[in-house]
Amino acid sequence: MKLPKFELADPVSLAECCRLLSEKGESVQLIAGGTDLLPAMKNRAKQPKMLVDLGRVPDLNTTSYSETQGLKAGAMVTLSRFAGDPIVKQKYPLLFQAALAMGDAQLQAMGTIGGNLCQDCCCLYYDRPPMLRQNLDPCYKLGGEVCHAVKGSKTCWATYCGDLAPALLAMKARIKISGFRQEKIMPLKELFSGDGKKPHKLLPDQVVTEVLVPPPAPRSGGAYLKMRVRGSIDYPLLGVAVFLILGSNGRFFDNIAAALTGVDVSPVLIDGAEWLAEGGDSQEIVKKLAETAYKKARPINNTFGYSPKYRREMVKIYVKSAVRQALAMAEKQGGAT
Amino acid sequence: MKTIHLKVNGDSYELSVEANQTLLDVLRDELSLTGTKKGCDSGACGACTVMMDGEPILSCLTLAVRCDQRDITTSEGLMQNGTLHPLQESAMKHNAVQCGYCTPGWILSAKALLERTPNPTRADVQRAIAGNLCRCTGYKRIEDAILDAAGRNSDS
Repeated sequence: MKLPKFELADPVSLAECCRLLSEKGESVQLIAGGTDLLPAMKNRAKQPKMLVDLGRVPDLNTTSYSETQGLKAGAMVTLSRFAGDPIVKQKYPLLFQAALAMGDAQLQAMGTIGGNLCQDCCCLYYDRPPMLRQNLDPCYKLGGEVCHAVKGSKTCWATYCGDLAPALLAMKARIKISGFRQEKIMPLKELFSGDGKKPHKLLPDQVVTEVLVPPPAPRSGGAYLKMRVRGSIDYPLLGVAVFLILGSNGRFFDNIAAALTGVDVSPVLIDGAEWLAEGGDSQEIVKKLAETAYKKARPINNTFGYSPKYRREMVKIYVKSAVRQALAMAEKQGGAT
Repeated sequence: MKTIHLKVNGDSYELSVEANQTLLDVLRDELSLTGTKKGCDSGACGACTVMMDGEPILSCLTLAVRCDQRDITTSEGLMQNGTLHPLQESAMKHNAVQCGYCTPGWILSAKALLERTPNPTRADVQRAIAGNLCRCTGYKRIEDAILDAAGRNSDS
């Protein structure tokens, strides 16, 4: 299907990019890799009058690392380049796993880190050609007043399905957001709105420009497990990232966190920090982590593949499996992740 | 309309394109390079895979206007001086083709893999072509063909 007509602006500075976004408001969309936006445009779910290309804005295409600051990755770094970076592979294996879990080789070569974080929520009643939508009233996400996935719902339940976000959340990553007048650095979890219709809190002129990940603690490990029907292309029906730091002074863990994707309108973070202060042995902590993840997961019937009930039941199993893999990694390396 | 300069299979082109034209449509409709196939046209089947600056990409999700000064390889660019590319020879030898619609796509995915990883394992091959859907061969013959072209025993 042909793309609808639009105008393309290719600013060569971030200021110009933010100015365009600010001036054009709702009728403009930012394009990074385009792998999420263009299918929605082909489906006429989105019909912006203008696309602002982030591709020529300088300095968004590099990664750097320092022992004190950790990893800094520009929003336009593609997932294949990110995963191919020796620092990411050696020091951030959780991020390496998550980047390579996204889509397939082609989508990884095109899709970007910033785009992956900012990808739109998915729903089978929304992500379909107009011909297959014609017998349905427009849903909330299409500007209507109904949710076909959750009958009687007052809000949109489209599901957040990014693969990188849970891994970055578990590692307490921050993002840099640049706007027309100011830029700020904030925790990644503050990016997500909790609304499937508009899943990100970005203002019209704001762009995610950098991802900042703390340096990996000694004796830490992580794992990302993804449930999907096929080993390629598919969005996660459930994605679980676990990141943990082995303890000192008699504590088993210094920190443990799990984050989920594919089971709610935003990625879900479960930070074990508060239970760790209460003490308890490692098995109790992992059990509490898995049960809290299970309680917080809210998969619904808006995707192809496994049932919401099965996906929710698998949350506990995936969390425990991811913890086992993360533990093995932390214990094996005994130092850096 | 915007003017772009493209290198496709070693030949340079100057083209005027609309913002909403995909690279796939430009290759097929403007340059008559119909070896690159239009399957799902939404990034889900891999039939439109081409190589851009050495990486496999989906031409149906690539805006042509963003390809200025880029180097594209399509299936038409594989044969050199009348000699088939080893991947093409190997595809024939292993009968890795039935309807042929996915073939240009997976061959380009495989070419990108072999340029990066000259001695791939079967798992490497499976990962590289995971985004190329084939409804005929069941993939085994495609994997064998790629491993053979790489000089690896296809039983590995």
